[in-house]
Amino acid sequence: MEDVETLREKYLNLDYDEKTFEVDQDKIIAYAKACGEIAPRFTDPTHADFQAPPTFPSSLMAGRHLPEDFPRFGGIGMDAGKAVEPMLPIRPGVQLKGRTHLHDIYTKTGRSGRMIFLVSRMELYDPEGKHVANADTSTVIRERSSE
Amino acid sequence: MAACVHETIAEKTVVILDLHTHSIKSDDGRAKVENYCKWIRSREIPIDGFVLTEHRQFDVESDYSTLVKSSGLCILKGSEVETEYGHVLVFGVTEALMLAYHFSSIGLPLASVLESWEQHNAIAVPCHPGRKRVGMQANIEKLGVPAGVRIVETLNGGSRRGEDEITQQMAAELGYLGIGGSDSHIVSHIGRCATRFPGDISNEHELVEALRAEEFAAISMRQ
Amino acid sequence: MTVSTIQDVEFGEELPAFKPDTSLENVRIFVAAAGWGAARFTDHEAARKEGLPGALVPGIMSQGFLAAMIHQWASDARIVKIDTVFRAPVMVDQPHYITGIVTDINAEDSYVEIDLTVSNEAGETRVFGTATVNLA
Repeated sequence: MEDVETLREKYLNLDYDEKTFEVDQDKIIAYAKACGEIAPRFTDPTHADFQAPPTFPSSLMAGRHLPEDFPRFGGIGMDAGKAVEPMLPIRPGVQLKGRTHLHDIYTKTGRSGRMIFLVSRMELYDPEGKHVANADTSTVIRERSSE
Repeated sequence: MAACVHETIAEKTVVILDLHTHSIKSDDGRAKVENYCKWIRSREIPIDGFVLTEHRQFDVESDYSTLVKSSGLCILKGSEVETEYGHVLVFGVTEALMLAYHFSSIGLPLASVLESWEQHNAIAVPCHPGRKRVGMQANIEKLGVPAGVRIVETLNGGSRRGEDEITQQMAAELGYLGIGGSDSHIVSHIGRCATRFPGDISNEHELVEALRAEEFAAISMRQ
Repeated sequence: MTVSTIQDVEFGEELPAFKPDTSLENVRIFVAAAGWGAARFTDHEAARKEGLPGALVPGIMSQGFLAAMIHQWASDARIVKIDTVFRAPVMVDQPHYITGIVTDINAEDSYVEIDLTVSNEAGETRVFGTATVNLA
């Protein structure tokens, strides 16, 4: 098993990905309605405050899941959790820039055996450089058994 | 060591403690301790206090004495560590014990934990033993019955259907005593399961003594 | 009752019950909008081939359900943070229930904290978390 402290020292808080996202009006509406949103500001494009639902940044995926030289653990990565801190409304048609770094790395034993948790944080900025949201993704990788 | 308001529980003939809770100090905990207290008092949850058993650590820093005074609740600290037999609650953690073991390790040997922690006046209790992989029962099938276990968590508020029944059957067969804990990670889940003790408990040492006295009962308050 | 301001909120208040639409059809609409087209979300058989018990509701969709519940409770609420832990799979085409309970009120700054859960029919918690919400 890789030494977690070494990984933390080498990779935490260093941007490893930058990607731009176009925010599409129709997709915002479909996303919101599928989640059960009924507030017009998320479902009606004519609403004066029309915007993406606050959890929308969770769906934006970085170009790379992990830093280029990050070790592979062999197992399938599963979503262990998501956290979003929306700071400004996300409007349709805007181009967002997402910068991603590893925010935390740790291990634990779960119902499915030994697991490695990787928390990546995407910081989203609008074209003016304003910080729009943070989206954290916890990915758990079940260590491949040697048995 | 966390202190408790002695007089609030001294008059009672029994003390009910939730022995398994997590706060935001645990990686997957989302509950603030202050909010646990507000919740217990405002919803009149019938417990006198709780033990914070953070994952793979002992929280030395946090001082809850002000909260203990304002809430009248007993707030104690323990830990939930990980062994080859699964997760284990530890009560009565001392500085010497922290020096002797890496709480953050995910492969502590249970036999060593049970034996040497007794020497440190601590007590180790396998938790959610009926849970797949991280519970003791699943690992007994692979590793055999571990020596030295006396108490297991027979009621866990986070158990899935059938898990507590597996534990209770195992406890009956192997003669283990049972405690209860909610395994809460959010505020509104505290007090779903707990443990009833006779008499008074106002610090971690007294909790260990009460567990050693073996006069307690696991209780469920799940709706 | 519609919640508009912090004065409308009571400690311990339970948000109105919300049964999310976990049908395969709705999940397919969601993943198309989100750009998450993996077969484990959209096809039971493909999910089983991956060793899963069936197609999964994406975690981000569960998070979206929880946010929608908050907005149905307080339509003008502004979510400042929503933090969800995916403890076990939420299965497509199976009924689930979501709950929200107010566990803290900061009247001075107009913030409330809400415990969130997604549970299956057996009452097992599949997703839990918290939201911090600003009310005018």
